[in-house]
Amino acid sequence: MDYVSPFDDRARTPHRLAGRPAAIEGRRVALLDITKARGDEFLDRLELLLQGRGARTFRIAKEAFSRPASVEVIEQIAIHGDLAVEGLAD
Amino acid sequence: MASTALTVTPFTGGAAELRDRARTSAVLLVFAHGDCPTSALALRALSTAEGAGPELVVVAEDSPQDAARLVLRAGLRAPVLAEEPPYAASSELGIEAVPTAVLLEPGGAERERLVGWDRAGYERLLGVPLASHGAERKPGCGSRASEPPQAGGLDEPEDMFERGFTDGLPVVPPTPERVDAMLGGRDPDRSLGTVAPAHGEATLRRVAACAVLAGCRPDYFPVVLAAVEAVLEPGFNAHGIGVTTQPAGVVAIVNGPARERLALNSGMGALGPGSRPNLTIGRALRLVLTLTGGAQPGRLDRSTLGSPLKLGLCLAEAEERSPWEPLHVERGMAAGQSAVTVLAADAPLSVSDHRSRSPEELADVLAQAAAATWSPYWWPMDDETLIVVCPEHADTFAGHGWSKQQVREAIFDAACRPAGALRRGETTEHVRAAADDQLVHKWTDPGRIILMVAGGDAGRYSAVFGPCDGMGTAAITREIAWTT
Repeated sequence: MDYVSPFDDRARTPHRLAGRPAAIEGRRVALLDITKARGDEFLDRLELLLQGRGARTFRIAKEAFSRPASVEVIEQIAIHGDLAVEGLAD
Repeated sequence: MASTALTVTPFTGGAAELRDRARTSAVLLVFAHGDCPTSALALRALSTAEGAGPELVVVAEDSPQDAARLVLRAGLRAPVLAEEPPYAASSELGIEAVPTAVLLEPGGAERERLVGWDRAGYERLLGVPLASHGAERKPGCGSRASEPPQAGGLDEPEDMFERGFTDGLPVVPPTPERVDAMLGGRDPDRSLGTVAPAHGEATLRRVAACAVLAGCRPDYFPVVLAAVEAVLEPGFNAHGIGVTTQPAGVVAIVNGPARERLALNSGMGALGPGSRPNLTIGRALRLVLTLTGGAQPGRLDRSTLGSPLKLGLCLAEAEERSPWEPLHVERGMAAGQSAVTVLAADAPLSVSDHRSRSPEELADVLAQAAAATWSPYWWPMDDETLIVVCPEHADTFAGHGWSKQQVREAIFDAACRPAGALRRGETTEHVRAAADDQLVHKWTDPGRIILMVAGGDAGRYSAVFGPCDGMGTAAITREIAWTT
């Protein structure tokens, strides 16, 4: 039977997740704050724990939690980070 | 006899290949296809067969996908050969109707055949009893070897669900003919942009398919197109609305001559069921967001509870009953233009007030209802609240000469409390930082209150649509273009 699909059926290449690192000592970890309430508290705590294990951390934030991260934010994470942690919400 | 496994294999062979399956033991071939209710009846009955007997092989004159659906629906577990055009085996065996059962004895010679459904006959061929599933005998349908497949199969509603072409309700199948009619000569490959969150491209073809699925008539399509263009504006933030845990729905408000042209209901029951253009236009917009855009509930749409509003809502302003300028005129259009305004919202909260006789009292009642929206102690909200004012309430305001702006400001002023009364549960940084006696409004600005008039002449019920607060979404108005 022939129907017109409402879906965008174009094949897309799925992004593959990078492998989980064996250790985080010396690795650069981006801590992404999506700017939702109390996300910073979570990241503050996590940052201390990561630093305690020898990771080098840096903080970066999305412009608005309800919108995708800008290309600039993603680029900064890719350039300066080996790993990234996203602090979600509430 | 019947195998325990369902396997579907594309089949382009001829009669010799089928006879070869009976080289060492008997085989019962059952020719069928998905557009034939008698085939479905036969396969359902065959699914109840138990015990030894000839191996059952279904030869479905369908694509592998359709063949699998046909057999799965029947609950039958048997090898299935999905015979593809030009149906060589069916032609060589002279299959003129389905279902046709052909019993091949060991070695491949044909021993007997049955045309149509005959329960006693099948029991004889199989040597086992079959449960009764309706008719004992029933004529079959034309074989595809002699009749090419047509759109409009009898199981189309189920096909639509299985393909995922749905919002959970039955839909109108988007055949090429219906989609062409919806397009009305427009370029099907023209793109309106990509739809978040999955970034599916909203070609006119896909939007038209959604409009067909929703049940729109082709003359509704210009409204659907304008609404889709509006939600694709960056300021609407379809991404946030599509994926949030909020119950965010989308409201489409039509103003101008389009209302009469399409017989949109702006009167009694304006927010409810009963009017095809209202229901189907709103649904089509929602289908574009969910099917083309990928904001499917439980997948990328992470809404905790959802809302009936997520099925879609299109309403029209009762401009002729309104004492004020229409919404689209407020938003920069000419009165003679047709326009659609989209905004993201929570489900409507009905506000009954049959007692207020002064505009101040009535504004206060609407304000207190709106004060509880989003979260009762979350003040101020920075996104837009839609208040649909019923005609009798509008008359109360107009009878005292109040303009729309006066109503808006009175509601804004009435929803005002000291910060100390708002420091409970979910509240804002603004409230937490304020002195106890500092007054805080429910909205950051009176302009966050959108007013329009709709509803029946009798009954003093208005409605408040709370905002999708924090989403950074804004109402967007687009002109409806009637030409291609």
